[in-house]
Amino acid sequence: MNVHGRIVNAREIVLSTEGLAAGYGGEDIITNLSVVVEKGSIFTIIGPNGSGKSTFIKVLAGLLPVRTGEIRLGARAITRLSAPERVAAGLAYVPQEFNVFANLTVGENLRVSTEFLERERRASPEQRERVLAMFPEVAGRLALRAGYLSGGQRQMLAFACAMMAAPTVLLLDEPSAGLSPRFAAEIFDKVKSVNAAGATVVMIEQNVNEAMRIADIVLVLVNGATRLLASPQDIMTKHDLHKLYLG
Amino acid sequence: MTAQVVLNGFVTGMVVALPAVALTLIYGILKFPNFAIGAMLTVGAYLALAFNVYLSLPVLYAAAIGAVVFAIIAVGIDQTVFRPLRERSAITLLVASMGVSFVLENIVRFIFGNGARSFELPLARPKLVFGLRINNEQIVTAAAVVVAMAAVYVLLRHTALGRAMRAVSDNAPLAAARGIDRERIVRWTWVIAGVLTAAAGVLAGMDRAIDPLLGWNYIVTVFAASILGGLGNPVGAVLGALTIGVVEETSTLVIPPNYRQVVSFCAIALLLLLRPQGLFGVQRIRR
Repeated sequence: MNVHGRIVNAREIVLSTEGLAAGYGGEDIITNLSVVVEKGSIFTIIGPNGSGKSTFIKVLAGLLPVRTGEIRLGARAITRLSAPERVAAGLAYVPQEFNVFANLTVGENLRVSTEFLERERRASPEQRERVLAMFPEVAGRLALRAGYLSGGQRQMLAFACAMMAAPTVLLLDEPSAGLSPRFAAEIFDKVKSVNAAGATVVMIEQNVNEAMRIADIVLVLVNGATRLLASPQDIMTKHDLHKLYLG
Repeated sequence: MTAQVVLNGFVTGMVVALPAVALTLIYGILKFPNFAIGAMLTVGAYLALAFNVYLSLPVLYAAAIGAVVFAIIAVGIDQTVFRPLRERSAITLLVASMGVSFVLENIVRFIFGNGARSFELPLARPKLVFGLRINNEQIVTAAAVVVAMAAVYVLLRHTALGRAMRAVSDNAPLAAARGIDRERIVRWTWVIAGVLTAAAGVLAGMDRAIDPLLGWNYIVTVFAASILGGLGNPVGAVLGALTIGVVEETSTLVIPPNYRQVVSFCAIALLLLLRPQGLFGVQRIRR
């Protein structure tokens, strides 16, 4: 298969969509969106406000129904699967806001992140220890109600919860939104770490510079459709983002 | 005499605690105030009555079977009435619950008539403890409610189902993203609420005559208790119920007993104006 200008083995494709359309009310926000994500990559989606980025990620997570088109996780069609079923299939989603259970403790948040999956997908004690080692900001606060964490700490907890299931694909909705530059940089370093640990990452971001620092491939989404698909280097050297955003 | 009134109020509060916790669980998970809680209490009482009087089962067994049957009925009501309206506003669901209330009350009236009934209970003299008169029904009520509340607490705090219920209550879309099947949790919530409400119906039926309007004697108090404790807070609902029970009962030292529910109305009005999260409700973290 020709993907992003090179031949890719179908077994290396971990997530794909074909002709995807979805929206709210009477309108489609994303139209005829076809995307291929290679295994082990950090696939970043950028675009102006209202371009359909969040809609796309919610459709992938199963929180918004598909109107037309198909979604595949590997070779498996997951278009009709519910959100819990997609989690069981290996997809993990970290929302932009309200991404932890504020009234449960940090420890309980971690526990429920895989407690209701099939037995083989539940986090083992070893996996829990690996995740806690990856997220020390979370490890020292297990008895604290998650709502009392700072914004950056909550984001770390949300990541940690998503990683408890050792997902195949991690969907991130603007992970640095609302965070200080220091925390944002930490978050992106964490994204690289979880990617290095084996998770393919599909991420939408407004923080273009930081996102492109870690991305392998970038999709520019405008008005619900693909405007450009290229490497970060190509985008920075050969294209004008302003022109791409504004058409 | 005051001590006797306080004791009676405490026991009344215990009866109210069960449907108050049921109401608060439903509110926490489904985000609407279930107006049918009174009618559900009535149906719970009549189911136990049917098994007790017509099948000659002791009240304890009749109550247990009645609670199981009513739990199934409660799930059935959810699937047929509330589930199609799941994504609608709280007002729509509240109005639907009013409809459920009227239907349940009239089904009971159709089957059993309007006349007052009572359980077949063995006669027993009240006991005198430290000068206070305590009857068997009050002892049974206290024991049953303590056991029920302990069970609910353990379930919510220390079981997977309880964690899932608290997660759905906190953030339903995130719970779905974590693999929690919301509809399954909703069904279990109705089972638990159904059992608690049916049990409350039995305890209420042991305290007073059973008729189709039984639940109306409790509905305002139940709402007041839940609001006092903080809607969505089960521990608060229990504390609220005990407080309201004692305050209502002691108010009869000053005002005629017929007007005791004025206390609950006033409590609801004051709380909604001044402290909507309730006296015992911990401010839920919403950000």
